[in-house]
Amino acid sequence: MCRILMVHREIEQLSQTYYNKAYQHESFLKVSLQKKEVLAGCCVLVSCRLLNWPITMATILCLINADPTLVGEVYQEMISALKIEAPIVLITDVIETHIQEYKISSLHLPEEFAENSKDLTRCAVALVELAADSWIVTGRKPVPIIMAAVYLAWQSLRPTKQRLKTSLEKFCQIAKVNKYRPAVKRIAEIKEALCKLGKEIPWVREAVTPDNVVQHVEDILQHRYALLRRAMRTHQDALQEGRKAGFDNSLTEETDSVQSSELVEQTPNSSSVKQCEPNEEGAPQPRDGDNNPCTVSELHSGPHERNDVELNWGKRVLFAPPCVIRAKRRRVEQPELQDVTGDEEISDSEIDSYIRTPQEARDFALTQKMFEKS
Amino acid sequence: MVQLCGSTTQCDHPSLHAHSFALGSIEVVGAAGQLLVVDVRTDVHLAGVNLHDQCRVQNVDSSLGLASSPLLFNFNIVKIYHQFVIQVKKNNFLFSPGLPGTSGQAPQLFHSQTVTGSTTTALPGNTPLYNTPVTPMTPITPATPASESSGIVPQLQNIVSTVNLGCKLDLKTIALRARNAEYNPKRFAAVIMRIREPRTTALIFSSGKMVCTGAKSEEQSRLAARKYARVVQKLGFPAKFLDFKIQNMVGSSDSRNFFHQVFSLGSHYEPELFPGLIYRMIKPRIVLLIFVSGKVVLTGAKVRAEIYEAFENIYPILKGFRKTT
Repeated sequence: MCRILMVHREIEQLSQTYYNKAYQHESFLKVSLQKKEVLAGCCVLVSCRLLNWPITMATILCLINADPTLVGEVYQEMISALKIEAPIVLITDVIETHIQEYKISSLHLPEEFAENSKDLTRCAVALVELAADSWIVTGRKPVPIIMAAVYLAWQSLRPTKQRLKTSLEKFCQIAKVNKYRPAVKRIAEIKEALCKLGKEIPWVREAVTPDNVVQHVEDILQHRYALLRRAMRTHQDALQEGRKAGFDNSLTEETDSVQSSELVEQTPNSSSVKQCEPNEEGAPQPRDGDNNPCTVSELHSGPHERNDVELNWGKRVLFAPPCVIRAKRRRVEQPELQDVTGDEEISDSEIDSYIRTPQEARDFALTQKMFEKS
Repeated sequence: MVQLCGSTTQCDHPSLHAHSFALGSIEVVGAAGQLLVVDVRTDVHLAGVNLHDQCRVQNVDSSLGLASSPLLFNFNIVKIYHQFVIQVKKNNFLFSPGLPGTSGQAPQLFHSQTVTGSTTTALPGNTPLYNTPVTPMTPITPATPASESSGIVPQLQNIVSTVNLGCKLDLKTIALRARNAEYNPKRFAAVIMRIREPRTTALIFSSGKMVCTGAKSEEQSRLAARKYARVVQKLGFPAKFLDFKIQNMVGSSDSRNFFHQVFSLGSHYEPELFPGLIYRMIKPRIVLLIFVSGKVVLTGAKVRAEIYEAFENIYPILKGFRKTT
């Protein structure tokens, strides 16, 4: 493995040492041959990490062709058994080695598709840094992010019609790499982040959308920090405008409610009672116009407050983790059992509902026999 | 987090068992969320801390009136090694014997150092039992002040309990006669039974032992286990209800912070394997899964209080790592 990866001699020796230790450790004494092969891969991985050789677990997975779950399990077990503290690999360190897998130099591809690996690396690293700042990287697997960054970098370095039309799948085919499905989502997320910054470019008149943002990637990356500041300022201003508008609306509603309460006082009939009811919230009949505005504004501020709280969370900031912006809808929980002591009486009828009748049991046994025979 | 007899030194960081979570500059050493009476809030600043010896309070601001009166604190402490700040809340019960409530009793310290006669301690002030003198110090603004309770209560999501039904069970008979049971001996050597209320699942083994999962509270878990036992009884087995015990409690919380640096520091963060950081707290012995969204899952507790304690311990640290773009 070390020869294939062309690592330093020290890494080879260290991984050998770790493997010998782990092999004799009680956790790995009576394990299968496959697990021992995986253990070897994990020893190489941890040695590379300890000696600052950037490598991802995905590379080891490819080498040993093992199940990711098994590799993860063995890796964690080995780390704790040998008491190793492996440093985290920065994604930007891994990009350069990862890009070498992509066969997109002029030796491999025609002119319109070929790209200089140095420029590609530079652009991809900048895109990954932007992705990291936009909360796209944290908690995610690095390889799909790198793939997305390389793809976008390749398109943006020479945004011809041919390149812009090339899908990720096609790109992976011509670069002779395996496509990672999550890379499609990462491309969309990175494009979204680029659009947020692209909108702030002063010399771009047209609307910056995910379809045309690739053409502006170079400019965006070059002026990233200035654009970020502008975008954040714009976002803050927009939020403040929104809050102000919300406040004005509530004031308008208050004046409306004052007028309606005056109408109520002047025309006490069934319709006014109906008008009053939503305003009251259980309060007595409105005689005093002052009470209504408060109640109405409370009523109306309730949803606003709730919306505001939601906005505060996912939308208050310009960039947020995608899992926060597009939070999954929580399953509606069943109403909690209140005041359960654990010693309640258990009704016979409830328990009987869980027990088959004799006829049901006979039918079930028969059906089982039939299934077994077939 | 270890129960500290005195504040640990920087070189004792590993003993804080934070090897997977490099608390480079922030350490929570105690929490006194349960003590409510706060009389005086003081900022006590250490001019110098010997990082390789247990921290000693060398100087305490005399204007705080602490120098002369031996004090015992229940405190929330956030100690920052490089800025040497301790922010302390004192319970006025715990002032020198001259003040009410101090009848020489040791307070119920939550996490703080134990009260012993000759303990050297980084904490300002002394109990009557302490001999370490304190002297004035120059105040510095704390970077991460000692926190109040976070105000966030973790929600219990799952309780795992076990009970012994006290008799051998014929699993085939149970699977045949119970509507809510499934049994596939080739896959797993237990009957899987479910009830609607409380919404739980039980694993019933032929030895008579049973595992009950899915309840949201200890009482619900007990009620559910009793219902399963009743079902087994009704199926004709002499089931009892012995040694009911809560084995694990899982809670979750949302601290609403984005944690970026956390992930760059922790060695138990493997995004290729799992998107969250796995932090193993020593005291209480809880495993926390911390995610980028700020959601925290706490597991491994035997009692509810451990979940709450673990969250209160981790919250100030996570707040310190908060990052926005």
